[in-house]
Amino acid sequence: MAVTTYSGAEQYNFDIVKKFAVMSLVWAVIGMFVGVYIASELAWPFLNFDNPYISFGRFRPVHTTTVIFGFGGSALFATSYYVVQRTCQTRLISDGMASFTFWGWMAIIFLADISYMLGYTQSREYAEMEWPIDILIEVVWVTYLILFVGTIMRRKQPHIYVANWFYLAFILATALLHTFNNLAMPINLFSMKSYSLFAGTQDAMTQWWYGHNAVGFFLTAAFLGMMYYFVPKQAGRPIYSYRLSIVHFWALGFMYMWVGAHHLHWTALPDWTSSLAAAFSILLLMPSWGGMINGIMTLSGAWDKLRTDPVMRFMIVALSFYGMSTFEGPMMSLKEVNALSHYTDWTVGHVHSGALGWVAMISFGSLYHMMPKLWDTKIYSQKMVEWHFWLATIGIVLYIVAMWISGITQGLMWRAFDEFGNLQYSFVESVAAMHPFYAMRAIGGMFFLTGAVLMTYNMFMTIRQGKREAAALEAKLAAKMARA
Amino acid sequence: MSEQKLQSQTVQTTGHAWDGDLQEYNNPLPVWWVYTFYATVIFAIVYWTIYPSWPFGKGWLGGVADITYVNSDGETKTHSWNTRALLMEKLNAASVEQKPYFDKVASMSYEQIAKDPEMSGFIQSAGKALFSDNCAPCHQAGGQGKIGFFPNLTDDDWLYGGTYAKIHETLMEGRRGYMPTFGEVLAADQIDSLANYVASLSGIPHDAGKASAGNVLFHSETAACFYCHGGDAKGRKDIGAPNLTDNIWLWADVPGSDAAEGKIAAIRNVIAQGLNKGVMPVWAGRLSSEQIKVLTVYVHDLGGGQ
Repeated sequence: MAVTTYSGAEQYNFDIVKKFAVMSLVWAVIGMFVGVYIASELAWPFLNFDNPYISFGRFRPVHTTTVIFGFGGSALFATSYYVVQRTCQTRLISDGMASFTFWGWMAIIFLADISYMLGYTQSREYAEMEWPIDILIEVVWVTYLILFVGTIMRRKQPHIYVANWFYLAFILATALLHTFNNLAMPINLFSMKSYSLFAGTQDAMTQWWYGHNAVGFFLTAAFLGMMYYFVPKQAGRPIYSYRLSIVHFWALGFMYMWVGAHHLHWTALPDWTSSLAAAFSILLLMPSWGGMINGIMTLSGAWDKLRTDPVMRFMIVALSFYGMSTFEGPMMSLKEVNALSHYTDWTVGHVHSGALGWVAMISFGSLYHMMPKLWDTKIYSQKMVEWHFWLATIGIVLYIVAMWISGITQGLMWRAFDEFGNLQYSFVESVAAMHPFYAMRAIGGMFFLTGAVLMTYNMFMTIRQGKREAAALEAKLAAKMARA
Repeated sequence: MSEQKLQSQTVQTTGHAWDGDLQEYNNPLPVWWVYTFYATVIFAIVYWTIYPSWPFGKGWLGGVADITYVNSDGETKTHSWNTRALLMEKLNAASVEQKPYFDKVASMSYEQIAKDPEMSGFIQSAGKALFSDNCAPCHQAGGQGKIGFFPNLTDDDWLYGGTYAKIHETLMEGRRGYMPTFGEVLAADQIDSLANYVASLSGIPHDAGKASAGNVLFHSETAACFYCHGGDAKGRKDIGAPNLTDNIWLWADVPGSDAAEGKIAAIRNVIAQGLNKGVMPVWAGRLSSEQIKVLTVYVHDLGGGQ
């Protein structure tokens, strides 16, 4: 090739990164749309239309699976393949395996969504997929692991960059979590229905060991990996502290595994398990913040970028929400606070301050950095990035504030006693009190969705522009060659 | 800014570089971060000391906090902190607080309770909690019922009687409403005539000709409606047969239709299909006799009790 382009198409497999990046945006729009829809169903129940396929119970896992595994998962595949190749200075060990992970992962999201709408579910939060889909996930995930580790082993750099530790921890832990949480016996080979190998409290404990570590390793460690590459790249500055990155990496990995039981406070779970997990959740606070400090301090000396660079702003706001929700989480893990917050919308708000504020915002920032580079061009419209930033930020704030108010209101109404010592409110009165906040939440979601649609259009135009520029360059070269 | 410059001069990077310009400073751990982490360690140790925490041998460390409560056998027990004991403690406290009121409920007559302002307050409070937990799933939160399923308790119309004694009987023994199916016994035009007659009793627009035919049929041995609903069609409370003349509807969704034809069709459906779902469960044995007494007064107050 006569010109060495930034994307280095020969040296690295960027085709797979492009595919995952595009699908990440597609799933984002679908998943967030479903999210807005189910939020609207709660506010305006006629939207169920008495149609079982889109009723809240079936549609909710479609939302969670599509945004977490479709959008988040594809963004992680895309960025991890991009980062591991660039920081190891080597191509993925197998294009075939990479391609298999893409088509496999897409099939998983598609099949999972369809099966939920048809009513198939394991009823395990964030692991609703029934056993045939679980087996497909297992195969795809092991392929991913081999591909990632193989590529690191073939690196041309003596040291493994910190982002890769986080990605590797995420891939390993997810393999472990997925396997053990989905040990189940199908009722027969031709049935989608299966029963868990665990029973009662043990089953719940296994599920929340999975559930919380899915948050810890899929939604935290992996996106920290993303942060460790894209924040210093976008800022053009070194990571603040190597030492901090080591300490908080190991502390985070160690602490997270203990805390799942805080999802089961005030249940049949033994009390010692519950308080053990509560205290470990407090211990997790500073290890979590290590990543935030390292990200934000990397920008020290380049604070002006916050004013001038909307992509940088996405990343810093993401880190701020990360810091806030990793503070809120341990607080909610204390039994006394949990007595108020458990089963209320506060939990839903907390999840979304992490999911929208941290996971989605860092992904948007990273994709804005990466996608123009992949197609060797510039972002089509910086103005749209600005608009996306404000729509997303306002959307998150509306969402979280609505859920804080409604969650705390619910918690207080449920435990309110009158002067005779009787419950002051019936459950349905607390439901009625939620209505304005459900509407406000749906509107917040609409803001966020609008931003994502804007980004998808912007990236679509960026890709078109990149392709046009490449074609023009090639034509120029061909003309030069013809003259020579 | 100058501080930043100073930092980049004094702090070294690790000396590695990835992907062109990716580097890492080797700044020390922030002191506040380290000390806050130590503080969380101390917090964890204190938390584990207070509450049950680590598994140990065949049991677990119980923690120094304990709870004293009265168990279901009336024995006073002290146990290291646990959620079960905490629940017992709170239930004990609540029942001690409420006991004088429930004792009064047991000893007073319905009329005495209704006249006593303090007891009326208690009935409103305890009755609402009991009603919300036990009755609202069918009769709805305000007792307004649901047409086609569950009777309205807030109006002045009682299927089985609205006196204290009758409401108490309904709660204790349950009820079973039943109307035979006439679809196979009567011809379609006969059912239509009956429906027009029933509509006429409540002043719903109807076909006068059909209604007078229905009137004859209603009081004949062929349809024999009067057996249960009475010759005056005002129903019989002893068997729960509803009054058909008051324009109050439970089974036929008459208010659900704006057009007269739709209203009459709703009545026709009930005559043709009959019904066998008017089941009120038995509450004796599921609620205490004081609780049932509270609910009796509460429901009596909801509508026009008689």
